[in-house]
Amino acid sequence: MGKQLVLDAIYNKEVERIPWVPFVGCHAASLINTDCETFFKDSDLIVEGVKKAFELYDPDGLPALFDLQIEAEAMGCGLTYAKENPPAVSSHILEQGKTLADLKVPTEKDGRFPLALDATRRIVEALGDKIAIYGLITGPFTLALHLKGTEIFYDMLDEPEEVEKLMEFCKEVCLNTARMYIEAGCDIIALVDPMTSQISPDNFEEFVTPYVTPVFDYVREMGKASSFFVCGNAKRNIEAMCKTRPDNISIDENIPLDYVVETCRPYGVSVGGNIKLTLTMLFGSRMDNVNDAKNCMQIGGNKGFILAPGCDMPYATPVDNVKAITSTVHGNVTEVFDDIDVMAGVDYELPDYANEKQVIVDCITLDSSSCAACQYTMEAVMTSVQPLGDKVKVIEHKIKEKEGVACMLKLGASNIPTIIVDGEIKYVSILPDNAELTACFAEAAEKKGL
Amino acid sequence: MALIEEISEFLQKGRAKNVKTLVQQALDEGLDPKAILNEGLLAGMMIIGEKFKNNEVFVPEVLVAARAMNTGLEILEPKLVEVGNEPVGRAVIGTVKGDLHDIGKNLVAMMLKGAGMEIYDIGVDAGAEAFIEKAEEVGADVICMSALLTTTMPNMKEVIGELEQRGIRDKYIVMIGGAPVNQNFADQIGADYYTADAATAAETAKKAVIEKKAS
Repeated sequence: MGKQLVLDAIYNKEVERIPWVPFVGCHAASLINTDCETFFKDSDLIVEGVKKAFELYDPDGLPALFDLQIEAEAMGCGLTYAKENPPAVSSHILEQGKTLADLKVPTEKDGRFPLALDATRRIVEALGDKIAIYGLITGPFTLALHLKGTEIFYDMLDEPEEVEKLMEFCKEVCLNTARMYIEAGCDIIALVDPMTSQISPDNFEEFVTPYVTPVFDYVREMGKASSFFVCGNAKRNIEAMCKTRPDNISIDENIPLDYVVETCRPYGVSVGGNIKLTLTMLFGSRMDNVNDAKNCMQIGGNKGFILAPGCDMPYATPVDNVKAITSTVHGNVTEVFDDIDVMAGVDYELPDYANEKQVIVDCITLDSSSCAACQYTMEAVMTSVQPLGDKVKVIEHKIKEKEGVACMLKLGASNIPTIIVDGEIKYVSILPDNAELTACFAEAAEKKGL
Repeated sequence: MALIEEISEFLQKGRAKNVKTLVQQALDEGLDPKAILNEGLLAGMMIIGEKFKNNEVFVPEVLVAARAMNTGLEILEPKLVEVGNEPVGRAVIGTVKGDLHDIGKNLVAMMLKGAGMEIYDIGVDAGAEAFIEKAEEVGADVICMSALLTTTMPNMKEVIGELEQRGIRDKYIVMIGGAPVNQNFADQIGADYYTADAATAAETAKKAVIEKKAS
């Protein structure tokens, strides 16, 4: 079940299938044909949008709400709402004559929290037994920037003790918001702190570590899972992030996934990410989405990895692009190409296998030059055919090319890599050893009397 | 010369007070204001830009270095005017209509200033009219546009469209940047340059202006 897959992956347990958590935030508004401003102010619409995302994308987890301005707004910051984006903070309360002493930790009654929590409870009630529901809280550093503006960057040097006081307050806000979402039924608390990618590891340890670590500890004490979302080039801070003890770190395309996986593993921190938001999801083709997802899954693997977009999906992300990722996750890549338009004018003529004077081995790959599993498959096949000389002919079909896809469809393969011998699917996504492969090819040759 | 190097060193550390004192001292000692500018302030800023690009320093370090540069410039500028120092070029910079993000735009503005350009910052949520009016008014060489949202990046095209409409597209070097923007998009909308970071933006702008003035 989806929910269990997400929880297993987050806690680094081996899973049969990599879980898929599309970060549908403002995109949910587009799914129910409304604009973002209306959406973010109406709990009925939020519930409807998330349910729609559940139906369309067959996810294993979803955020209840992706709005990192809600805490700041509840404390008096001005927001500018937009039609196709989440709201943006337009005035910083601590720059407008208020001091820290004037601010109160927001509760269930403040700002849009009543509707956010109402929506969360209803989403949990409707979907919480099937998928993991993420409660998103604004991380303390990003929240501090909302409250104080970019002045905080100067204060870090000029008046560090003032920044520390502000961060201490923001930590209290985080703890309380985490509590509210946990009580509303969320399975996972994601602390989203994108602005931390803009500071050095030293500054991170001084101004972020002491204020996020207690939040992750609290979530753990409450028996829930936690994730640390960051975006931008946070490469230098990944190790420091691990030391704050989240269960999971989720990143965007600005950091290489393999680097993050390698860095997090020794700390027992699982990883999420990092399908490209704009290049792939918003502007890419369905094929781009299949490829990007495959690539991420290849690197992430079946232990401690959650497939997800780099961050909040753009409002206008084409539904078919997201569905292409869903199909990839469920091993039904061919679904993606059911639409004839994509494949119009493309054909691949299969050989008459029975009457060929050679054994034909068709290898369906993403592209052996860029997909590691495909590369090893091709290497193994090429080594294994050598003892048989020219009795065997190997053809690589890259599904990055339309002809490759056409061939894949005709042969009835739906996963990559797949090894097909004389038209018969032999190995799907597994790589037997060379001796077994050679024996398999030899048997086929014998059948043909070669 | 050691004094000028020291100015650069202090600037890189963001020590505004020290930079101010040393620039004054350099002027009192009769050093060439242009040398103080180019080999002291701008050289220090270039190093910071390079380190920022390489992920060795981050936003706060750049901001305080730029603040130190500005403190030095305040004292230096009257002297530069006296000796007739001309800026490398003039640039109008802003975040496009509908977009309120300003951190990246401000960093680019600081770096451009650090490359010896004169900067006219028209702020955030700036329409085509605002960009073009300011550019025409100050005789700009470069127009720099920033967008952080996929929904506001198309507004960059409007500025270029308006320049074309008025028959003044060729007068300007148009540069774009921001998280969702890339070279492909720059080609699509007919911008002259896309750069991925503030330091490269400053380098590119400087080079393009020098080339344009030479041709």
